[in-house]
Amino acid sequence: MAGEVLVVAEQVNSQVANVTLELLGEGKKLARKLGSPLSCFVIGHNMEAAVDAVIKAGAEKVYLADHSELAEYKTLHYRRVILDELSSWATPPHTLLMGSTTTGRDLAPRVAAFFETGLTADTIELDIGPYEHTSGIDQTKIGYFPECLYASRPSFGESLKARILGPWKDPQMATIRPGVFAKPEMLTEKPEGVEIKKVAINFQPSDYRITIKETLREIEGKIDITAADVIVAGGYGLGSADGVNLLKDLAACFENSVVGASRKIVDLGWMTYPYQVGQTGKTVRPKIYIACGISGALQHRVGMQKSELIIAINRDPDAPIFSFADQGIVGDVYHVIPEMIKQLQEKNTSKLAELKVK
Amino acid sequence: MNKDLDIYVLIKQVPDTRSKAGVNPDGTIDRAKAGKMLNPFDAFALQAGLNAKKMGGPNSRLFAVTMGPPPAIDILYQALEHGADATCILSDRRLAASDTLATAYALCRTLEYLFKKNGKKADLIFCGLQTTDGDTAQVGPEISERLDFTQVTYCEDFSISDNLLHAKKIIEGGTQLVSAELPALVTIANSYTKLKFKSLRGAQFVQDVKRASKEEQAKYVEIIDLDKCEADEMRCGLNGSPTIVSKTWKIGVVGGNCKMHQGKAASELVSEVFKDAVMLKEFVKI
Repeated sequence: MAGEVLVVAEQVNSQVANVTLELLGEGKKLARKLGSPLSCFVIGHNMEAAVDAVIKAGAEKVYLADHSELAEYKTLHYRRVILDELSSWATPPHTLLMGSTTTGRDLAPRVAAFFETGLTADTIELDIGPYEHTSGIDQTKIGYFPECLYASRPSFGESLKARILGPWKDPQMATIRPGVFAKPEMLTEKPEGVEIKKVAINFQPSDYRITIKETLREIEGKIDITAADVIVAGGYGLGSADGVNLLKDLAACFENSVVGASRKIVDLGWMTYPYQVGQTGKTVRPKIYIACGISGALQHRVGMQKSELIIAINRDPDAPIFSFADQGIVGDVYHVIPEMIKQLQEKNTSKLAELKVK
Repeated sequence: MNKDLDIYVLIKQVPDTRSKAGVNPDGTIDRAKAGKMLNPFDAFALQAGLNAKKMGGPNSRLFAVTMGPPPAIDILYQALEHGADATCILSDRRLAASDTLATAYALCRTLEYLFKKNGKKADLIFCGLQTTDGDTAQVGPEISERLDFTQVTYCEDFSISDNLLHAKKIIEGGTQLVSAELPALVTIANSYTKLKFKSLRGAQFVQDVKRASKEEQAKYVEIIDLDKCEADEMRCGLNGSPTIVSKTWKIGVVGGNCKMHQGKAASELVSEVFKDAVMLKEFVKI
């Protein structure tokens, strides 16, 4: 029988992160296909409520590491409890999933390197299916594998999707961005008989080589582009970092609005990472998404295609963004955006006039 | 004063997607035709390495290391121009189709070869947060695990005192200040200081190196293969990769319902869109 489907939970202040619940929802589907249990590794301190939450989200078995040293995520301490526990298993997990957050991206590669197993980053689709390996220098790899983890992600070039798999070694690992999968419906009552295994905790002196001096969470926490109704996002078509001001001016015309960025301009340093939309950034679902000078590569599309109304501005009429936008303007952002601001401000004045009449 | 530090920066050459060269009409990349550049994230890592060298004692050294086909030597010259002391490239056909685990293994062998040659293990290894062609952000932490180094990912700023790296790093919803014992592997976020311009002296130095004899060149740009760094070929390339790409498929054009507005003055285009997009009104700020 295939091993378990294991989700490593993420927490802040003892609260389970949404991405963990999303992974449990998706993990359940994989577990049913494999006929394996869905389990969840909960690491932190004072985690009773968190354990309840992961069970209500579908976990059928919980591994719990509860210790004051684990209250805040620490690379070496978290690594230790996971590696110690999994190394003691006779059958490793079949699938191991983690959020592709700053935490998951710090921890998952260390686990993968330790077990010398494969890890697919920023997956957008998961499934279980067969694979036949027919040729190659390494004869030991040849064979038929009925139950592989299929992890798909946009490949470089971005209009291709690639299925990545590695059935030769368990656990088969993947990280997934928050928001990619829907949160499962939470059970109202905790089901009976879910096993909660307290894992052994044996920190080594070398685990204390990294210490946290200070955690500042609220400051940047304010930048949460996923909560905005209107996102004005810019891409390489802005031409320079100065174009970002134009985005801000347009965003300022709307209530509950924020600016967003394509990966390319974050890579170039025109905007910072918290604003990035796409496979390696945030997945957003605003009411209105205005894409300015964004070509619309798959990498970007997967992060915003569920927006209610997409308005795209691009000089190139063949830009892929026009294949999934609702309204397209072929033109220069430096002409179109100022015109938008102007007309919105006119609207504003007329709206004010309306109010005054009332 | 801090002790002398041996600092390594891991860099990669990636296709230059800013130019149209090598971009097929369907949006895929022809890697052979595409222009090449230093991975933009690695430029921040290189600056971090240069800054760290200044923080160390007077005999601190900075090494730039890459893995890739021979043209990737270009980015090593770039690192020399900026102030690296010596560089090394691991280049071998058997590395083709390496996934992150196999890449981390091969780079580890290269680093260990260099530690031996330089008579000392690294104090610090800097990597870019991720590459623009792979996007995984995995190779750094995988190397750190293999070398049993401490690690700081998403590093935005740092200082060094005694045997400690004090770093500011990005975490979910905020930032954190951490101290990590050396040796440490650090991945640098692109909110770090931008790479400064190369110096005239650096540029002249590279010109001299390029004109020098092969033996002289090898002092600054060493080219090694798997045998030289004693890497097991079964753990490299396709053989050593636990994952493969089993299938790729084109994403079909969706929608096709986009209402296009073009060929008129911007003012007309915008008013057309605003007329169609009734929903906008609800969100206009008063």
